[in-house]
Amino acid sequence: MSVLTHSEPEVVVHDDFGAGKRRARRKIVSYSILVAFAIFYVGPLLMLVMASLKTLPEFFRDPTGLPEGLEVNNFTEAWDLANFPQYLFNSLIYTVVATTLFVVMSVFVAFPIARGYVKGAGPLLTLYVVALFLPPALIPQFQLILNFGDIPVIGDVLFSFWPEGSEQQGLFNTRTGYILLFLTNPIGLIILVNYIKSIPRELDESAAVDGCGYARFVFTILMPLIRPALATVIVIHAIGIWNELILATIYLTSEDNYPITRGLLVFEGVYGSDWPKLAAAVLMLMFPMLVLYMFLQRYIISGLTSGAIKG
Amino acid sequence: MLLLAVLALVAAACGSDASTDDADGDAGSTDTEATESASDDSSSSDDGDTDTAEAAAGLEGTLRVMIHQNPPMVEWVESFNADFEAANPGVTIDLSVIDAADLPTANQTRLSAGDVDVTTVTVTGFANPVQPYMTDVEPPYWQQLIDAGLLMDLSGQDFVGNYDDAAIAEGGSYDGGVYSLNLGRVSYSGMFVNLDLLGEVGVDVPTTWGELVAACDTVKGAGYECMTAGGADGWPIFVGAYGLLGSLYPDQEGLVEGLWTGEAAWNDEQGQKLFERYEVYANEMLEDQAAGLGHDAAIERYKAGDVAFAPTGNWQAGVMEPAADSDLTPAEFEWTYIPFPGSDNAADNQILFGKYDQGWAVAEGTPVEDLAMAYLAAFSDPDTYNDFANTVNFLPTQPTATLDNTLGRAVAPLLQEGAFTVGYEQWFIGPAGAGQWANAGQGALWFYNGDFADAAEAADQAQADFEAGLGG
Amino acid sequence: MTAQQRTLFGAGRRRFIPWLLLAPGVGFYLVMAVGPSIATAFYSFTDATGLRGLPINWVGFDNYNEFAFEGARSRDNLDAVQRTLLFMVLVTVLQFGVGLLMAILVNQRLKGSLVFRTLFFVPVILGAVVQGLMWKLFLRPGGGPMDTIYGWLGLESQFLAGPSAFYWVVLVQIWANAGFTMVVFLAGMQTIPAELNEAAAVDGATGWQLFKNVTWPQLTPAVNTNFLLNIIGSLQAWMLFLVLTGFTNSTKVLGYVVYAEGFGQQGTSSFRQGYAAAASIVLFLLVLVLGMAANFVVTRRERKYLG
Repeated sequence: MSVLTHSEPEVVVHDDFGAGKRRARRKIVSYSILVAFAIFYVGPLLMLVMASLKTLPEFFRDPTGLPEGLEVNNFTEAWDLANFPQYLFNSLIYTVVATTLFVVMSVFVAFPIARGYVKGAGPLLTLYVVALFLPPALIPQFQLILNFGDIPVIGDVLFSFWPEGSEQQGLFNTRTGYILLFLTNPIGLIILVNYIKSIPRELDESAAVDGCGYARFVFTILMPLIRPALATVIVIHAIGIWNELILATIYLTSEDNYPITRGLLVFEGVYGSDWPKLAAAVLMLMFPMLVLYMFLQRYIISGLTSGAIKG
Repeated sequence: MLLLAVLALVAAACGSDASTDDADGDAGSTDTEATESASDDSSSSDDGDTDTAEAAAGLEGTLRVMIHQNPPMVEWVESFNADFEAANPGVTIDLSVIDAADLPTANQTRLSAGDVDVTTVTVTGFANPVQPYMTDVEPPYWQQLIDAGLLMDLSGQDFVGNYDDAAIAEGGSYDGGVYSLNLGRVSYSGMFVNLDLLGEVGVDVPTTWGELVAACDTVKGAGYECMTAGGADGWPIFVGAYGLLGSLYPDQEGLVEGLWTGEAAWNDEQGQKLFERYEVYANEMLEDQAAGLGHDAAIERYKAGDVAFAPTGNWQAGVMEPAADSDLTPAEFEWTYIPFPGSDNAADNQILFGKYDQGWAVAEGTPVEDLAMAYLAAFSDPDTYNDFANTVNFLPTQPTATLDNTLGRAVAPLLQEGAFTVGYEQWFIGPAGAGQWANAGQGALWFYNGDFADAAEAADQAQADFEAGLGG
Repeated sequence: MTAQQRTLFGAGRRRFIPWLLLAPGVGFYLVMAVGPSIATAFYSFTDATGLRGLPINWVGFDNYNEFAFEGARSRDNLDAVQRTLLFMVLVTVLQFGVGLLMAILVNQRLKGSLVFRTLFFVPVILGAVVQGLMWKLFLRPGGGPMDTIYGWLGLESQFLAGPSAFYWVVLVQIWANAGFTMVVFLAGMQTIPAELNEAAAVDGATGWQLFKNVTWPQLTPAVNTNFLLNIIGSLQAWMLFLVLTGFTNSTKVLGYVVYAEGFGQQGTSSFRQGYAAAASIVLFLLVLVLGMAANFVVTRRERKYLG
């Protein structure tokens, strides 16, 4: 559990002068509420784990009780039946590539905005804030992806690299097209801008005077300094991609391209009544995100502190 | 560890814009393979055109086929595809299986993108066509697809002649063209009957509503459940109730026309009766557990043997009596499949209603037209089709095919009398301004879910919601 | 031009470099997000279907007219709007309260508070499909865990069917996202200087007085962030409806209407992307008005507490 260690925050409540009794009572109340919440949080998860360890007849007989034995076959069978390795691989590709691209591009947007190195930094930031309110772009986006090849200049350039015949399909049902959908995230950008504002400006001035190039400064000096914000943005953005369902339904049609969410719902369609197998599949889907979170969680609060709260 | 991640990030990002290009290139290259194979298809079909001598024997390319999720059918199609690939060494079939709920979306997007060659357009044939007596309605989406020129007219192809005229006319024609080869009829206005259980409690197979109510009482009195159905996904609880609707309104298309012309109303005498029976069906006949069961789970549950009736589609016969090589276990009791006895008049309870199920369609402008046609021709071969129909338990749309199993024997007499007619919900379209309660075909579900508690109130609401559209 | 000006980023001979490197990010943003969002307004005045080959005709305000005024359909739409608003109010208020309570509790120096904090955040990272499937299992009628508990209490429910479904989705939505609200509050609590609490404690303040006079005002930025994110987020949320209930009469919310109408999720009904675009503009207006109102309240609060 060492990954869980986190610098303990300052205590809000700190009354050495209050009676010890009152403190003890508060402790009891606190724990009871926490435990009540915890039951509510562990419950569904526990049921999932238990269901995944039962055989199907056992599940139908007693859906809620403890499993009689440990039926690990559900995991291996779900793994084989559902083509999960392929889905997992796809999800990883989408998440890693799109998150990396997004984060790198966003730092290069956030940094000059935070510093005012570009004219119109203020209005540009407003544009990102306004986007929080904008309507879902589902419908025009579909036309865009479908007809990407018909867009003057951009489409011509893009498809000049690709073989004949790909224009008709545009970016539909392609990994590239799908990744393109995930290169924006206004909240992530706002967090980065606010966090960068908390980094002393003198730093880039002295770096500039020392002759450090702009791009090199961003990669080698700025990025390590804004690690908490990066971690926060990475987690938020990666969660969004990993868990996306609708865009995958609309844009990815061949099973070779399915991410794991889509694969899971397809699996539910076929084996929906086989809860033990489905539960096993769900648990396997959860795992990679849990691991990512465990590694990054200690940065998240400090990332939000400067990125979302102070701004 | 995070440091590593960040380092990796920095490393990946080293040299800024170069990195962006890199990653783009990587992602692009995977697509390039996909699109390359697509372009192979088109060039190969061009080849086919030039050497027609070899075309018959030497089909080549990738055929993208889409069907919807239906386990016995998927299994059958997979083995058919394997045979087709074996017979045509240059051919690869890329089969997608889509959840029924996403089938419209998948057709909308994939046909528009030119991303599919042979597809099943709907799960209900060419249902819900716009009729002359309807005004101010939105057409069903398959009409939109044809109007958009996305489907190929198949008229004139030899294999069309293998199907019966009704199937071609009702299940696949529009505006003078044939756009779909219907794969089969299904009926869901019936229910499975556990003959062993009825025998044990001493009840005859019910032939009228009164007998059904009495049978349920006896069955429940003996400690068994009367009925089960899948309710978890919102269906097929109301699918079972279509049988009830059908027996009370033997003229199903007439009912829809009547609603439009004002000759029938959901809250007239017959309508009231329908809603009262819906309520009994939903609240008294169905077991409580039904809501937790999905469509597939319900029939597995029924096979446990302690439930007398299971109103659902006849396609579940394949689960009751699976093929010899299937993983499924057969039901261990004698059963039959009868029309839902919802009417007081036994003669009205002798009719099976249903729908045309999915049908093959070909994308207009497919780069592998020859291959698509060869695929449909192979499927339409009478022996192949007969095998298909018997595997998936569709009532055949080829006159030469017959169902040779328990289901076939149970429904054959009903079909011989020409009694199969297309059900109400395949005709129903509400006017544009109609409300969400206008389609009373789903009325049983409203009681089951607790949306309504009173039959008269539900009937009035349904009629008001329908009329609201007519008035506008 | 001084030497320093010349070498500063964004100035001098190489001042184009920041622009150059900013361009891809902003470019994608405009093309993939802002552009399509704005184009939605255009689509809402057409009869677009999303099908290649069908012409797109200008229909003026027809879609809006149908949405808001035609027959019983407008009533259903109004219900969906109301349901969307109710969902927002319930989720915003409850999630805010639960998240704050969690944050206060785990922020104390208690053993195991880190475990609790981790646990409460876990659903956030799971996403709607997993959250939904998990709760579908938990709320399974006919012997599922919650059904069993209901049985002990002599209660009965169809859970995810019928009128009760909506409230279960509200519950799952809060369960799924309260952890994020909590984390934002925790981040806010880190910014409260320890001296403030100590000084108040020396003055003999009780826990409640401490919270009221120190924590709450100091938490203003976190409160505001959560308030805004919850309002906007809950208005646009509909994924859990898709996974848990599907498109049913008693659980339609606006976001889902857009998808269902635009992408043919209702039997054989037509593809109506123009109409769906109109519905999404209605949703946008709701978000805009309520978001702006919330923003107004929030700015006033900030002025009051932080000067």
